[in-house]
Amino acid sequence: MEFTFLFSQFMSGLTYGLMLFLVASGLSLIFGVMNILNFAHATLWLIGAYICFTFWSLMEAHQFALWVSIPLAALATAAFGWICEVVLIKRIYKRELHEQLLITYAMALIFGDLIKIVWGPTDRLIVRPSIIQKPLFLFGAPIDSYFIFVILIGVAVAVGLWWFLKYTKYGHIVKAAVYSREMVSALGIPIPKIYTWVFTLGIFIAGLAGGVQSAIGSVTLGMDMNIIIQAFCVVVIGGFGSLMGTLIGSLIVGEVFSFAILYWPDGAMVLIFVITAAILIVKPWGLFGTPLRA
Amino acid sequence: MKGKALLSMVLALSIVFCFCGNTLAAEPYHLGVALGFTGTGTLYSKDQMEGIQVAVDEINKQGGFLKKHPIKISQQDTQTKPDVGVRTVKDLILRDKVRAVINDYSSAVAVAVKPICREYKTLHIAAISNSENITKINYSPYTFQVVPNSYMQAKAASYAVAQMAKKKGWKEYVTLSSDYEWGRSTQEEVVKDLKKVAPFLNVKKELWPKLGETQFASFVTSIMSMKPDFVYACLASKDNVTFTEQAKPYGFFDKVPYVGSMQSVTELITEARTMPRGLVAISRAPFFAHLDVPMMTNFVKNYRAKYNGKYPSDWAVMGYDAVYALKQGVEKAGTIDTEKVKDALKGLTVDLTRGKLQFRPIDNQLRCSSYVGVVKDDPKYPFPILAELIEIKAADSERPEAEIVAARQAEKK
Repeated sequence: MEFTFLFSQFMSGLTYGLMLFLVASGLSLIFGVMNILNFAHATLWLIGAYICFTFWSLMEAHQFALWVSIPLAALATAAFGWICEVVLIKRIYKRELHEQLLITYAMALIFGDLIKIVWGPTDRLIVRPSIIQKPLFLFGAPIDSYFIFVILIGVAVAVGLWWFLKYTKYGHIVKAAVYSREMVSALGIPIPKIYTWVFTLGIFIAGLAGGVQSAIGSVTLGMDMNIIIQAFCVVVIGGFGSLMGTLIGSLIVGEVFSFAILYWPDGAMVLIFVITAAILIVKPWGLFGTPLRA
Repeated sequence: MKGKALLSMVLALSIVFCFCGNTLAAEPYHLGVALGFTGTGTLYSKDQMEGIQVAVDEINKQGGFLKKHPIKISQQDTQTKPDVGVRTVKDLILRDKVRAVINDYSSAVAVAVKPICREYKTLHIAAISNSENITKINYSPYTFQVVPNSYMQAKAASYAVAQMAKKKGWKEYVTLSSDYEWGRSTQEEVVKDLKKVAPFLNVKKELWPKLGETQFASFVTSIMSMKPDFVYACLASKDNVTFTEQAKPYGFFDKVPYVGSMQSVTELITEARTMPRGLVAISRAPFFAHLDVPMMTNFVKNYRAKYNGKYPSDWAVMGYDAVYALKQGVEKAGTIDTEKVKDALKGLTVDLTRGKLQFRPIDNQLRCSSYVGVVKDDPKYPFPILAELIEIKAADSERPEAEIVAARQAEKK
C-alpha cells in the first residue's frame, strides 16, 4: 500500500476522531463536573447542525455564510442548552444514574420531534463555499480541504478546554467542584451557577460540533442516535470526565475505524465495540478516568 | 287489525333495511398507512404519503372505492424500526379495523409486518420497500409489491454496467452497500448477476457502511487507495446523499466511475445544485419516464397543484400506484371484502402511472420496469434528470419462477 493512501486514510481517521471528540468532550465535561449522564447531548448536537443550516440559508448568497453560521449555531445551541439546564437538568442533579439516563433519553426523543416540527423531515444540505469544494493534496494524498478546518477546530477546542481548566480561575473552581462541591460551596461560590455554566459550555461545544458537521454531509433526522453510541464508546475508552481521555478515546475510535475500513471492512464497527468492552472489563473507569463519585 | 299490524311491521322493517342498506353503502374503506415518518426512511415516506393522499383525494371525489366506500386513511409512524412497525400495524388492524396496510420504506419493517398481516387476514402493500424477500420467500397471499424488487433492480443495473464495462475495459470493482436487508440482498444479486453477464469482472473489496452512516471519509479514501475500475454502490436514501457530499471534495467522482447508486427524483431535486453530473444511476419509478401515459401526466398535474408545484418523486408515484392497484382489485372483486379483493388482485393486470402492469401470480410482485440513466441537466426542469434513460422491463429483470419455487422448497427444509 502506497504511503499517500495510508496517509489519506490516517487523515480521514483523524478528522473522524476529532469530530467525535467535539461531540464527546461536552458529554464528558458535563458528566465529569455535574455527574449528569446526558443522553440528549447528541440531539443538541443535531439541533446545532440544523440551526447552522438555518443561519447559512439566510446568508447563502455570501461566501462567508458557513463561517459565520457555525459560531452563531454554537451560541444559539448554548442558549437552548442554558434553558434546558435551568428548566429541567437542575431538577435531576441528585437522581440516580439510571433515572438521569431515562429522563435525558426522553429529552432526546422530545427534541427529535421538535426538530421535525421546526425543520421538517427533509434532508438539509449546505453548499460549501467554493474555496473548500476542491481537494487539497498533502504528501500527494487527496484530503477534503474542509477537514483542515475540522482538525483546527478540534485542536482549538482541546487546547481551549485544557487552558480553561488549568489556567483560569473559573477552571480551577470547576475542577474543585468535581472533587468537593461542599467545600466550594462553603467558600461562598454558588455551585448551581457553576453547574449551569458548565452545562452551557458543554452544549456550546456540541452546537459548534453540529455546525461543523452540517457542512460535511446532509443534516438529517436520526443522525444523533448514530453518533451518541460512538460518543459513549469514546468516553468509556478514555474515561468519563477526563479531557485527555476523551481526546485519546476519540482518536483511537477514529483511526481504528478508518484503518479497519481499509483492511477489515466487515469488522470496523465491531472492533470499536470490542475495544470498548475490553476497557470496561480491564479498566472500568477508562484509560484516563477516575472512579465515579458517590 | 291484523292486516294493519302486518302492514306497519312491513313498513318498519323496510325502513330499518333501508337504513341498514344506506349504512352499508356508506361504509368507509379503512386504509392503513404505516410508514417510517421518522428515522432513516423519513424523506421517502413523506413523499410516498403525498402520493397516497393525491390518489385517495381523486378516488374519494368520485365517491370512494366502487363509488360508495370513501377511503379513510389511518396513519402511523413505524419509525423505520421493525419492532415499532409490527406494533403500529397491529394497532391499525385491531383498533382502526383497516382492511389494507401500505407499509414501509424499510424492507426490514415490511418483512416483519408481513406475517402480522397474514395472521389477521389484512392486505399488505409494500409500495416502496423492495427487498425481494418480501414476496419471494415466506410467501403471504396478502402481501403485494408495487416497486421493482431488489433482484429486478440489480438485474437492471448489471445489464447497464456490463455494457459499460465491455466498452471501457473495466476489470475490477468495489461494492459499497448499506449494511441492512435491502443493501445486502441487492449487493448479493448484483455480484451474482455481474458474474453471469460480465464474467471478466472481479470484486476487489466489499464495503458495508452501516445504515445511517454519517462519516464516509474513511470509505472514500479507502476506495481511492484501492484504485478499482469502478465502484458499484447500493446505498439507501440519506446515506446516498451523505456519501455523495463527502466524496465530492476528494475529487472522487472525477477519479472513480461510480455506478449503481439509486438516484430517485428525491435526490435529483434535493441535490440539484450539488449532485455530480455524469453519475450512472438507477431509479425505481421516475415520473419523466412515463409522461406518455395519461395517468402519469394527470398525476403529475394534480400532485403539483396540491404540493405547490413540487414534482412527484418515485416514492410518490409508487404510493399513488399502490392505491390505484388496490382500487382496481376492489373493482374486480366488486366488493371491499378483503378475501375477495386479495383473490382478485392475484395475477391482475392494472392500469397504473407506469403503464399496464400485471401482478405476477407466483409472488404478487408487480411486473414493473427499472430505469438506468445518466445524471444530466434538462432545461425543462429545475433539477437534473436521468438522461439516456434505459427502461429495463420486468420480463428482462425478474427472477425466473423456477428459482422462486426452489427457494420456497429450500425454506421448508
